[in-house]
Amino acid sequence: MFARSVRPALNVARAANVQQQQQGMATLREIEQRLKSVKNIEKITKSMKVVASTKLTRAEKAMREAKKYGAANNELFKHTEPEASEEAPKILYVGISSDGGLCGGIHSSITRAIKKEMAANPGSLAVVGDKPKSQLSRAMPQAFKVSFNSVGKDVPTFAEASAIADEIVKNGGEWDQIKIVSNKYLSAISYESGVTSVISAKALQAAAGFQQYEMEEDVSKDLAEFALANAIYTALVEGHAAEISARRTAMENASNNANDMMASLQLQYNRGRQAVITNELIDIITGASAL
Amino acid sequence: MSSTWREFMSWNKYTQIASRALRQALTETDRVAAEKRAAIGVRYQLWENGQSGEQNYVVPPAKESGSGTPPV
Repeated sequence: MFARSVRPALNVARAANVQQQQQGMATLREIEQRLKSVKNIEKITKSMKVVASTKLTRAEKAMREAKKYGAANNELFKHTEPEASEEAPKILYVGISSDGGLCGGIHSSITRAIKKEMAANPGSLAVVGDKPKSQLSRAMPQAFKVSFNSVGKDVPTFAEASAIADEIVKNGGEWDQIKIVSNKYLSAISYESGVTSVISAKALQAAAGFQQYEMEEDVSKDLAEFALANAIYTALVEGHAAEISARRTAMENASNNANDMMASLQLQYNRGRQAVITNELIDIITGASAL
Repeated sequence: MSSTWREFMSWNKYTQIASRALRQALTETDRVAAEKRAAIGVRYQLWENGQSGEQNYVVPPAKESGSGTPPV
């Protein structure tokens, strides 16, 4: 037969086929790369979920202890309700969240609650955590008094809450009431934002029960500061537990989505591979039958 | 007897200093356990007129080599 090099039409057809095969291969390679990257992502999210689950037990235990601090605080507040004054009280909102991401809607729920409260009763703002800080500083930068970060990597300690309370008292400006906005831990899969009020020194002094005691020094300011540290501690620990549970849920959903993507990509890859093989077979058979 | 510390610090700061003194007075194992419970890594930032000031550590960490600027 003629040598292959002198059959130009067949050469062109073969070149076109090879290109098509290469195109098919390139698409195959793209699918392969996507498959590899989704597999890596699934490994990462699965390990993050496991880490969050182990951290959750410790965070829950700390939260159960911390709630006792908060209960004592609320008990005190119940007996010293401030009377409604004529002019609007000056309110300092303390938003409690953290710096870390990949935890679902934790930070947005705090931001939304603060925006809602500020719309009803405006006041000044102290924020714990970088994520709500960046969200709120875009909406209401003028209200900020002080912000904190580097909290929440580990279970929060009372020392940290005390330091935060100290800073707020030093640099938080003037206020009549403090309202703490934080996430309440409802269960291992759900949380909700809530507002807690903290007593102020003035309200304590005016309270009936307080005045029944004789005191050498006026300790109402000390008690108010301690109550603030208590309330911040409870909010920090509960928010930490809520964040870890939300991160666990978010990573679990991400792993499930990644698995679904991998299944559909795998099917696509197999179909593509079979198409390439079928085309090659067709070429060979038509080439053979033309001989 | 009125306390003089009230002129200089809040009650929280006062108890922080007192508890730090107590922690340093404990025996070795108890002291290490107590210091773990009292670790403070929080940083704060004062704001004025919608502008954030520079960030400061509440308790400065021990100097590490090659520390970079903290992210804002």
